[in-house]
Amino acid sequence: MEENKYVYKKPKKKITPFGVFNTVLFILISIIILIPIWKVLVDSFDATTGYGMNFWPKQFTIDGYRMIVTRSDLYRPFFISVIVTVAGTFFGLLLSTLGAYVLIQWEMPGRNLFSYMLLFTMLFNGGMIPTYLVMANILHLTNTLWSVILPLAINVYNLVLMRNFFEGIPGSLFEAASIDGCSPIGTFFKIVLPLSKAALASIGLMYAVTFWNDYTNFKIYIVKTELFNFQMKLRNMVMDSDTPVEVGVVSMNTVQNAAIIVAIIPFMIIYPFCQDYFVHGVNVGAVKE
Amino acid sequence: MLCKACNTDIPKKAKKCPKCGWTVRKDPKNIKPIAIAGAVISFIGGLLPFIQDSTSRNYKVAYSFMNYDNKAMWYIFMLLLVASVILCAVKYEKFSIITTVLAAVIFGITYNNICGQYGAPDMMVGLAMPVIIVGTVLGVAGCFLDVLKLKKKPEVDQRYLGNSRTVWQKMYIHRWFYVMALPVIIFVILFNYLPMAGLRYAFMSYKLGADPSYVGISQFLVMFSKKLFWQAFTNTLVISIVKLILNTFMAVIISILLNEMTNIVFKKSVQTIIYLPHFMSWVVVASIFTMMLSRSESGFINQLLMKLHLTDAPLSFLDNSKRWRGVYYLINIWKDTGWGTILFLATLSGISPELYEAAQIDGANRFNRMRYITLPALANTIITVFILNLAKVMNLFESVFVLQNDAVIEVSDVIQTYVYRQSFGGGIPDYGYTTAVGLFRSIISCVLVLLCNFASKKVRGRGIV
Repeated sequence: MEENKYVYKKPKKKITPFGVFNTVLFILISIIILIPIWKVLVDSFDATTGYGMNFWPKQFTIDGYRMIVTRSDLYRPFFISVIVTVAGTFFGLLLSTLGAYVLIQWEMPGRNLFSYMLLFTMLFNGGMIPTYLVMANILHLTNTLWSVILPLAINVYNLVLMRNFFEGIPGSLFEAASIDGCSPIGTFFKIVLPLSKAALASIGLMYAVTFWNDYTNFKIYIVKTELFNFQMKLRNMVMDSDTPVEVGVVSMNTVQNAAIIVAIIPFMIIYPFCQDYFVHGVNVGAVKE
Repeated sequence: MLCKACNTDIPKKAKKCPKCGWTVRKDPKNIKPIAIAGAVISFIGGLLPFIQDSTSRNYKVAYSFMNYDNKAMWYIFMLLLVASVILCAVKYEKFSIITTVLAAVIFGITYNNICGQYGAPDMMVGLAMPVIIVGTVLGVAGCFLDVLKLKKKPEVDQRYLGNSRTVWQKMYIHRWFYVMALPVIIFVILFNYLPMAGLRYAFMSYKLGADPSYVGISQFLVMFSKKLFWQAFTNTLVISIVKLILNTFMAVIISILLNEMTNIVFKKSVQTIIYLPHFMSWVVVASIFTMMLSRSESGFINQLLMKLHLTDAPLSFLDNSKRWRGVYYLINIWKDTGWGTILFLATLSGISPELYEAAQIDGANRFNRMRYITLPALANTIITVFILNLAKVMNLFESVFVLQNDAVIEVSDVIQTYVYRQSFGGGIPDYGYTTAVGLFRSIISCVLVLLCNFASKKVRGRGIV
């Protein structure tokens, strides 16, 4: 044994006090993160009102969800959210890929001007009220869904992120394409977009989360209740007790809990499968900005 | 004689450098006299009203062609002209362009005033106006030519360069890219630059339903005298900076501990769980916690505290101004800490395991390995994250807006929520005032971004914008 003292041995996996502490700590953290979500989920199935501390529905019911799918003032906001998310993600991806593709043309006269024009908006902006006044008085977009789709669709941060992805495409590919007679627009569709599927997924998901979770723009630009998205409806239900009357068998709280679950369920389902895209996007954004 | 482009010796009478094709020319003439002459002419023009005034008016109105009420503009104009002449004389001609252009701008503004709403009806300016215009144009043009001359690159014959093209040829080659840039440019102009033009309302009184009218800087004076504004301003700084420090600290701790985890499956599932809350909107988070913290029987936290005998009666959290900030920070930690660990974990996974093995052989225990390997490796990332987020401290809005209520306004009101309530919270809003508050916020935010950019360049050699 003595002669082996200075030979490095990979430590065997053994249970150390630190390892136990660490495992317990992270189980605790996970529980803390999950309890609020679990409570909402349980309460959304519970027909009784005083939920208290139970972690399982006392009186199981799906009437909360039935209410959301049957009442038009509850499922309409859901579809508005879906429309805004799909349209917004489309416009966002379109603008950021176009802008990023122009930004990697180093030879193009005026490219720097374009770049400064975009970067300046990251430095300085008009702020809430002038933007609102432009929307209301010049573009006349308030109380239309365009007012929540278009301003968020031009996100300079995501555009720069997309440029960082595009810069990873080898320049020889562009040269080869132009020698073979491919037009810039053809190159864009046949080479750039197919090669950056990961980037499109990453940034598309970011846009989708932003649009799905949008509340501020709706609050500022939309007054008509028919155009409220699900976040607005949820907020009104929880805060201003704007719950549908004649709730019937279920209590207000159950419907609210069910609404919260409906609001988070799309990304809770998508997210575990796309976790790597999200993480990748965050890392690229900070490492090469 | 040396070639200016490539530094080789060239024969005296040669017209082109044999090596690189630089065209031999004499140095461009000094254009400084034009700028000086322009400034002097403008100066004389500024004095003209004193001597040519023949009729009833006295000296007091003589310089009123600049501004009927205020002589200050005239003095500034004259001082700037003198300054630009001096700057030219002491060979700082690069800077004289600033003073000359400023003088021209002041002249332009005040001249407009005469023609426009502040017109002085019984004014007799006479020759002064054309003289000043000629002088200012000459001065500005001279300064510009001077600067351009300094920047001129050595001219090299096109034949000696490989595939150089003229700007027009390049533009023609890239014509489709301009088409592709067009939608982005239109969007940026509509949604970013038009609102910037709207910042002029900060200098106006713009009540809903009335026409805007210029009131100068009085909106800012009103703003600085309001207690509510200063309350919102300090709240913004305190809340966002404490939040930033707490979140970063927690994220660092959690990522270091998570990195020590050897079981990959366990680590992955913990990561998946702690990233979850990031995908919930603030509305959802606020709804969940409003229910969790409720005082009624359905409030989980209060029930838990009572069961543990930590409290006898249900406590109020979100509508208690003493506890609001603490609860707000905790909710923020719950929502964003996990997401914040991504960058730290990426850095940690980049540390070579050999370092740890070497340290282990040298007898470093777990704590020492963390102290001497992990933390120094993380330091740069911590600073980066800190800088990136410090630039955003003035943007605080939605998270506060959905969690605040009337009972806790004085501890929770931040600039953005203040602007929102002043504009849309009932009553007749003065968009001029709220724009002024917004402009103040934008300027502070811009300064912060520039400072962070500077810090970022110092620390990691790359800016953030």
